[in-house]
Amino acid sequence: MRNKKVLRVIVAAFALTVGFGCFVGVCATDNVAVINGYPVITADPATASDWYDTEAMYNLYSPMVYPTPDGSVRAHLATSWQAVGGDLTHWRFALRQGVLFHSGHELTAEDVAFSMTRFITMGRGNSGPLGKVTATVIDRYTVDFALEKPSAIFPETLALFFPVEKAVVLANVKQPGNYGDLGDYGEDWLSTHDAGTGPYVMVTHIPGQRLDATRFLGYFDGWSNEGWGPDEVPIERLIFIMETDYTSLMTLLKSGGLDLEINGGWTVPQLTQIQSDPMLDLSYVWAQNVTVWMNSKVAPTDDEHFRKAILYAFDYVGVVGPWEPFGNGETGIILPNMAGYVPIEPQPRAQNLERARQELALSKYANNLRDITLVYHYCGGLDFEEEVGLQLQADMAQLGVRVEVAGPPWPQYSAECSSAESTPNMTIFLFAPQAFPTYDYFMYSMFSPGGLGWIFEAHWYFDDPQLIQMLDSTRAEPNAFSRLLTYELLQPIIADHALALYPYQKPTLFAHQAYIAGPLEEIAFVGPSENMHNWRINLVMKEAAGR
Amino acid sequence: MAKYIGLRLVQSIFVLFGLSLLIFSIARVVPGDPARAALGFLASQDQVQQMRVEMHLDKPFPVQYYYWIRNVMHGDLGKSSYTRRPVTTDLAQYIPATLELILFATLISLVFGQIMGILAGYFRNSWFDGLSRLVSYLGIATPSFVIAILLMFLFSQVFRLAPSVGRLPIMMQPPPTVTGFMVLDSLLAGQVKTALVALNHLLLPAFSLAVIHIAQEGRITRSSIVENLNKDYITMHRVHGIRTSRLVFKYLLRPSIIPTITVMGLDFAFLMSNAFLVELVYMWPGFSRYAVTTMLNKDLNAMVAVVVVMGVTFALVNLAVDIIISFLDPTIRIQRRGG
Repeated sequence: MRNKKVLRVIVAAFALTVGFGCFVGVCATDNVAVINGYPVITADPATASDWYDTEAMYNLYSPMVYPTPDGSVRAHLATSWQAVGGDLTHWRFALRQGVLFHSGHELTAEDVAFSMTRFITMGRGNSGPLGKVTATVIDRYTVDFALEKPSAIFPETLALFFPVEKAVVLANVKQPGNYGDLGDYGEDWLSTHDAGTGPYVMVTHIPGQRLDATRFLGYFDGWSNEGWGPDEVPIERLIFIMETDYTSLMTLLKSGGLDLEINGGWTVPQLTQIQSDPMLDLSYVWAQNVTVWMNSKVAPTDDEHFRKAILYAFDYVGVVGPWEPFGNGETGIILPNMAGYVPIEPQPRAQNLERARQELALSKYANNLRDITLVYHYCGGLDFEEEVGLQLQADMAQLGVRVEVAGPPWPQYSAECSSAESTPNMTIFLFAPQAFPTYDYFMYSMFSPGGLGWIFEAHWYFDDPQLIQMLDSTRAEPNAFSRLLTYELLQPIIADHALALYPYQKPTLFAHQAYIAGPLEEIAFVGPSENMHNWRINLVMKEAAGR
Repeated sequence: MAKYIGLRLVQSIFVLFGLSLLIFSIARVVPGDPARAALGFLASQDQVQQMRVEMHLDKPFPVQYYYWIRNVMHGDLGKSSYTRRPVTTDLAQYIPATLELILFATLISLVFGQIMGILAGYFRNSWFDGLSRLVSYLGIATPSFVIAILLMFLFSQVFRLAPSVGRLPIMMQPPPTVTGFMVLDSLLAGQVKTALVALNHLLLPAFSLAVIHIAQEGRITRSSIVENLNKDYITMHRVHGIRTSRLVFKYLLRPSIIPTITVMGLDFAFLMSNAFLVELVYMWPGFSRYAVTTMLNKDLNAMVAVVVVMGVTFALVNLAVDIIISFLDPTIRIQRRGG
């Protein structure tokens, strides 16, 4: 009898403990969007280095020029620009008048010059591709940039340059720092505050965890309702959370605790679940190029025929199949949605074992296939990268070639690509379309000896003088149309060397509540897509949904 | 006792020094380029090289360690290359969140584990003993993150009784930070409702972490109870007709709980470093998750700091356990005095 009493007490205590969750509910606030992105590490424009940081940049700051859907750039903070002197080392930019910082002060050439000097002096983030740049103020609304090397694409690179307010930064430098009298150049302060002109103002930021922002009513580009539905209004408050566990994110999305997810790490079953939920929507915003580099400096991938055999042996359909309803498909040197895309071999994009055997027979390793082990490395923890490796393993086994698939953790995996000798035969990477000059990113940065190196060029092939000369010419050609023609010519030349296997393009699907609308302007690059000025909220629908 | 504590503290300092040297070496030997990790994808080789110099990575290992230990002596654990903030700032932010979680988990495991152990031991071989054995086996065999996902699915998604993630609802304004413990800070700010909400958010993650320890500690307590029940002094008390409740709580529980407390101490420190998956599932912004993230990003300063913090935790908890046990068991105190 006493036993029963004790047990009753235990059960009642447990029920009470769990049950008092009933009265707790999420406080509904109308015009707020909770958005999940990958952890924003730095909100300082001079140190922001990854596409995740770029998402924050496009909301808090404004770039000098703005990417367009066709891959070029248009006026933004800068209204016009021109090369001065004809050698492409000296550029002059006219600034838009009346642009306000979040402090209410007007943006001037002084701020832009200071920001460029700060960007280059600190030498972090996205400043790498710019080299050395010297900024000079010409008048209140004109600034000059002198480059150490000629560059026809310099204006396009400024899609990742976000001016800061000089006075605010100088008022918040911390001493001592790495920059003499300028202390830390305001780096510490800018990690949790903003000094920008963007559509949203930072309220709080806990790096890697959460960023809160409110709408900036003085945003120079305005908040026009043109193109939006009658009940679709600007989002007043943004809460960026930064989580990576998609099981928890699904729970949050379904319960209405998450409005928009912009990282796109969903699995196929999760995407199917989202598609079937009438309260939720999926938006295809941009795709990423899945690229498997083949190291041209180590055996057996040092043989061009061997590399081509891999391209023909791979079963593209087998890997893409489950993803196809969500927009995955063929890709090449650049993404298929970019103007000037040239399809590359094999065509159609399917396994051709006969052709693979022919190529293998032409390779110098044709007679000792049994002794060969092809090493394929993917970033540990990324299942879709492992799937590509396992598919390759199965496909190459049909040719009698052994493939070793391994997924070391990111630090080891990326460090291996610091030299040709330490890079495995094959390494898989996912390249997102950066707002950084996109054609240049997918070609010059990935195939020129002057490119970004490291994981961007883990094929280590720089032996074709004609290819190098053509790549160099793209940076010297001021005419965008002529440059595009060269980019078209370059694709088959690069593809002919078989430096990479391109299994498919992987779309980044933004899952969101049905009452979130956007993006109005489809700019398929990282940054502009996540600029919440390009999204709206339908409060009538939200209320009807009871969220 | 003071001498004993002093001696243990001095021993701990030597252990921590050795630990820091060990992890400092390991952090530098494992593959990866911390300078590249700090600068990001688009950094040029020149910038990476310059960063190596700034981080003293171009210097010999003993020089690197000298710079590090010199700064630590001044309370500076360096800057995290992952969060770009001082490591001390990160630790101050993340440690309280995990401490609050594991303290609550420890409390749950203490209450449920002890009740289960006492009842199972006292009514040994009864249906309750059998049931508790089954529950314990299940609890020990099921990983915490599986329990976390199951509880989240049941209580958040199906029954909607408990919140699913975070320390507070996303829209709710947290109280001003005083201790970093959400429940305590809410109470200090006079926000009772916020405190209850924070407590509600603690329930599922804390219970997920506690299950394995309830099972373990329940079994240990049961064994001790069964062992002590057969001792002569218990039989003597029974013969004198002492009430069962008095017999259990005054004479049986005190000696029986000693092995459990030893295990609980180790469990507490173990939880500090192993709460990672539960923190991930419940989006809990805690230390364990921070530790794994910094290691995956080869954040040298944070890696070393994290291991040192764990070392300090182990040392302090073990010391606390020793002190508690010596109070519970007078024979230990007498032995230390040489009696």
